[in-house]
Amino acid sequence: MAGGESRGRIVVQLFPRIASLRKRGLAGWTTLVGSVIVVTIIAMTLVAPWISPHDPSAIGVGKPPYPSPPSADFPLGTNHLGMDMLSRVFWGGSTMLQVAIISVIVCLVVGVPIALLASYAGGMLDKATSLVMDSIYAFPGLVLAIAIAAMLGPGVVNMALSIGVVYIPSYFRVVRSQVLSIKELPYVEAARTIGARSRSILFRYILPNVVPSVVVIATINFADAILTAAGLTFVGLGLSVGIPDWGWDLTWGRQYLTTGSWWIIAFPGLMIVLLALGFTLLGEGLSELLNPRLEE
Amino acid sequence: MKNRSAVSNTIASALVVVMIIAGVGGYYLGSQGVAPAATTVTQVAATTLFQTVTITTQMPTVTTVTTKTAVTTVPTVTITTTTGPKLKDTLVMGTTDSVEVNLDPAEAYDFFGWEIIMNTGAGLVDIAPGTPYNAGIKDITPALATDWTASADGKTYTFNLRQGAKFYNGREFTADDVKYSFDRNMGLAIEEGPQVGIGYSDIIDSVEVTGKYQVVFHLKIPFSPFLNLMAAQASYIVNKDIATTAGPVNYVEGDARKSNPNDLGPYVLSSWSRVAGKDNEMRLDANPNYWAKAAGLPMTPHVIIKFYADATALGLAVRSGDVDIAFRQLLASDIESMKTDPKVKVWQGTGAFIQYMLFQEKIPPFDNPKVRQAISAALDRKEMVDTVFLGQAEPLYSIIPKGMMGNTDKFKELDKDTAKAVSLLKEAGYSETNKLKVEMWYESSGHYPQSPDQAAVYKAQLERTGLIEVTLKGADWPSYRQNRNAEIMPVYVYGWYPDYVDPDDYAFLYWAAWIHHNYENPEAVALYDQARAISDPTQRSQLYAQIDDIAVRDCPVAPLYQGSAFAVTSPQVDGLVLDISQNFRIWLLFAKL
Amino acid sequence: MSLRSYVVARVLLTIPMILLLLTMVFLIIRVMPGDPADLHFEKRVDPETLAAFKQRLGLDKPLPIQYVDYVAGLLTGNLGSSMQDYSPIGQQIFSAFPATLELAIYSAAFAIIVGVLLGVRASRSYNSIPDHTIRIFGIVSYAIPVFFLGEVLIMIFGIYLGWFPTGLRFSPRMDAPQGLQLGGWRLATGLYTVDSLLEGNLTKFLESVRYLFLPVLALGTVLCGIFIRMTRSNMLETLRLDFVTSARARGLKERAVVYAYALRNAFLPILTMMGLQFAALLAGAVLTETTFSWPGLGRYLVARITFRDYTAIQGTVVFYGVIVALVSLIVDVLYAYLDPRIRF
Repeated sequence: MAGGESRGRIVVQLFPRIASLRKRGLAGWTTLVGSVIVVTIIAMTLVAPWISPHDPSAIGVGKPPYPSPPSADFPLGTNHLGMDMLSRVFWGGSTMLQVAIISVIVCLVVGVPIALLASYAGGMLDKATSLVMDSIYAFPGLVLAIAIAAMLGPGVVNMALSIGVVYIPSYFRVVRSQVLSIKELPYVEAARTIGARSRSILFRYILPNVVPSVVVIATINFADAILTAAGLTFVGLGLSVGIPDWGWDLTWGRQYLTTGSWWIIAFPGLMIVLLALGFTLLGEGLSELLNPRLEE
Repeated sequence: MKNRSAVSNTIASALVVVMIIAGVGGYYLGSQGVAPAATTVTQVAATTLFQTVTITTQMPTVTTVTTKTAVTTVPTVTITTTTGPKLKDTLVMGTTDSVEVNLDPAEAYDFFGWEIIMNTGAGLVDIAPGTPYNAGIKDITPALATDWTASADGKTYTFNLRQGAKFYNGREFTADDVKYSFDRNMGLAIEEGPQVGIGYSDIIDSVEVTGKYQVVFHLKIPFSPFLNLMAAQASYIVNKDIATTAGPVNYVEGDARKSNPNDLGPYVLSSWSRVAGKDNEMRLDANPNYWAKAAGLPMTPHVIIKFYADATALGLAVRSGDVDIAFRQLLASDIESMKTDPKVKVWQGTGAFIQYMLFQEKIPPFDNPKVRQAISAALDRKEMVDTVFLGQAEPLYSIIPKGMMGNTDKFKELDKDTAKAVSLLKEAGYSETNKLKVEMWYESSGHYPQSPDQAAVYKAQLERTGLIEVTLKGADWPSYRQNRNAEIMPVYVYGWYPDYVDPDDYAFLYWAAWIHHNYENPEAVALYDQARAISDPTQRSQLYAQIDDIAVRDCPVAPLYQGSAFAVTSPQVDGLVLDISQNFRIWLLFAKL
Repeated sequence: MSLRSYVVARVLLTIPMILLLLTMVFLIIRVMPGDPADLHFEKRVDPETLAAFKQRLGLDKPLPIQYVDYVAGLLTGNLGSSMQDYSPIGQQIFSAFPATLELAIYSAAFAIIVGVLLGVRASRSYNSIPDHTIRIFGIVSYAIPVFFLGEVLIMIFGIYLGWFPTGLRFSPRMDAPQGLQLGGWRLATGLYTVDSLLEGNLTKFLESVRYLFLPVLALGTVLCGIFIRMTRSNMLETLRLDFVTSARARGLKERAVVYAYALRNAFLPILTMMGLQFAALLAGAVLTETTFSWPGLGRYLVARITFRDYTAIQGTVVFYGVIVALVSLIVDVLYAYLDPRIRF
């Protein structure tokens, strides 16, 4: 009884949301398309163990010579070791998503509080942290990620950490500019004159106003994280080869371009593009929904 | 508001159309294909592999070669004279190699550095081109020394030197130059150099000048591979005007002469440019003072070497004719498809590079020989070689590679035998519910060829037993080495290429301390020391076979494969010899116009 | 605050920033597993030899001393010698940088020109099919990893069609462009396109363009999305302003209105964006260079990281930092100069 009712409640609640998205015009559509893409891919990686026809790391599953092009038995072909590409496509997103999620969490947990504190406190603390953040920001991100990833070694968490460190300055900047403008607003001033404690000002006034921008930058950051993760694997610093990963297929497939085996890189590459695209659309849409601009 | 639904419909349909077009286009392009990989693995016609090399020169005093009892696929190198068709004046060679540090024989220890030293310099002796496969290395030929004798106890070697050989500035080559070279190179004792690495000062006691054209080497121990050592690039003679005792000769921007202390060879390095720390271009021109010039060497007076950054680009370059010769490294898949491409010629020869799997005996259960044997038995070396290297390598069943005396097939009993692996593991106490957990490491930054691919295959092969669970871990080369030194990798794969061409330079890998796998066996070491002191090849082979027996019993190391050497050229190019010495003799190359 | 003091303040601020960057990298690379001394010995090495060698590289000194030595060297303009091949770092960086610069300049030009043109086109037909197509293209192009796009381009244009080469910067059959030669002097920028024109050799110019084409296309496409969207929204805003309406009312041709008035106003934000994107451009260049085996600074840096060549990594990082700071300074000053609303 309770299950059905609550399910009904959720559905009932969802529909107006979707409907309201529709009402919001292009922005709503963008968000919708973006979330559909993201959710589909996440779902695909979650059910991968059940829908994959083969073990993604099993070699020689097809008929030699490898790599074999797409065929009826192997819709996406096999790679040079005879691994089924369809299974690898199903499984390959999981590590990338994990890396992206962990890196976003790292940025949120580290970047946002630092930004809030530093910019609200002002003075030397603000100047010092800004300097540090600017230095990191000015530096070509990928190189820094490479250095940190090389330092930490392979693994999902290590990759996420290196990517996270690179993107913290973006969060910092966004939050800081928000905080600086909100700080000067009359009602915040008023609250301070009444004698409200800094902590409650931060939580009650500033944080809620900062959240929308943070959400937007987090979603865009997801896309960047995915691209950087693929980049790290491409340079050889990502995950071990035992784990199926789209980035790995792109690296491996490189050697087979000259002999025309396009399917090794094409499908994983497309999946990376789709995933990054999904997050970007989501971010763009949310950005317009939450910070509507006067376009019309 | 009014057009909104129309707009959104349009977008949706646009997306769908784009995706359909992309999909169809992709399939279309794919089905067209490019030089499609052969669906039948043909044995390429004998003309493209193992070319019979007939190069013709007249070498003044030569005790050449060897028509030994050879295996049928042997390239026989006969040196005869040709005044035949006109040859090209300039050849362009492409490679992905690069000189690692410099061209000083006292410091250079990399493949490409040695290649240039060999082509611009000379040693006392040389190894005859085309040394037959599967026989011993006995084909030492005169170079700067015309003849030599060894004392009965094997500790004194006397060399009579060639007269009339000149350095580039006209000065004549004499015994003093030999003494200078060895005293300097060994005296500099550059830590990363080959003299220290190979241990010259453990072998050579002193060099004595006994005449203007005679020099005597006094050795500390009887060392039967001594002549092979003299043929190695680390023993080449340097020009003392450029190579001073002050320090090594480094790359000098814009001055190739000052950057290369090697002289007396077939070519002169006339230009050498580096960009961003990597070689960009080298030019070799015929040496007017070369002692074998009268024989018509070098065959091609001008050679330009271009440096490519990756194998794909090199493959494209040789196919399009941008370069006449491509040597190191080409992709296995590329080579495979080039075998059936009429625009290029594929050359295959003996390689000396090997890879082997190591077990860290400090970490249980790898201190148990049964476990080690089981892992080796579970591997299928032929399958790995066919899958990863497309058959362009040889499975290795001994730490000494094929093409050298001492090579055996002893590890075949610990190969491709899942049943044996299973029974050994069960003896060691493992079962389906209690699997052996193997953490296997591989090198991930491309230092060894296709390490991730190999690792993936080994994992699959080991897990076929049903009693092993493999976790793969990759580390880039510096981290890999650090892990090796820290002895934290339970199972790892390593590689080796020789300093000099002799089983003496391979056999010790079973117990080498610097591999850090913590295996010791005094019995094997004793056999090894014995073998390096005697000179009879049959006796030596027997000793190395005994060492292999011990290795199979203890399985401290599982030999994996031996790489083959490949080169790809345009159809007009000839004269390549890819033998066990790994010497790429540019001076023998020529192309018909 | 006058323009001059602004510039001075900015320059002064750059120094601690670069120092901070250097310190971070200095520490990070020394914490990384593996050390450059050990890597020189492919085979066996005994501890005494290794220790002696470490001394030669200067790695035996305590960390703070190494740091001070290096910074002191920097102040005198000495970037040190490579720990891998002992060549001066400055020489290596300056031989690698022109390749990256050439790639960056043309990719940026491509991204800006294509981005602006498409953005303008989109803004002119607001909310119609061209507008949506262009906007989608802008978003999608940003979501493509540059190395994937590069590989696809190589596959289609390099291998399948064979129109463009890959793997080198210039044809191996020709001498590289030498630049202008006057008597004993030589003026060369290192940019092959410029040098071949200085030399007056059209064949070489076309060859260098051929080799540049695919990398620039890849990197430029990935970056143009941002410019599309920026131009579009800026144009939309500007086109609505009063002075534009009045220009239209006066009967000026639409094209004149768009290009003469509106675009000029949209230009400034593009300039700032270019400055901000410069770091991204250099980062993207690293992957592009790796994909196309372009002999530039990015590829050099990745290769040296693999060898743990400390001096090379530090030198390149400092160099990057200086370049980025310089570019953003120039951009900010230009902006302040050009924007009449900002006056000191």
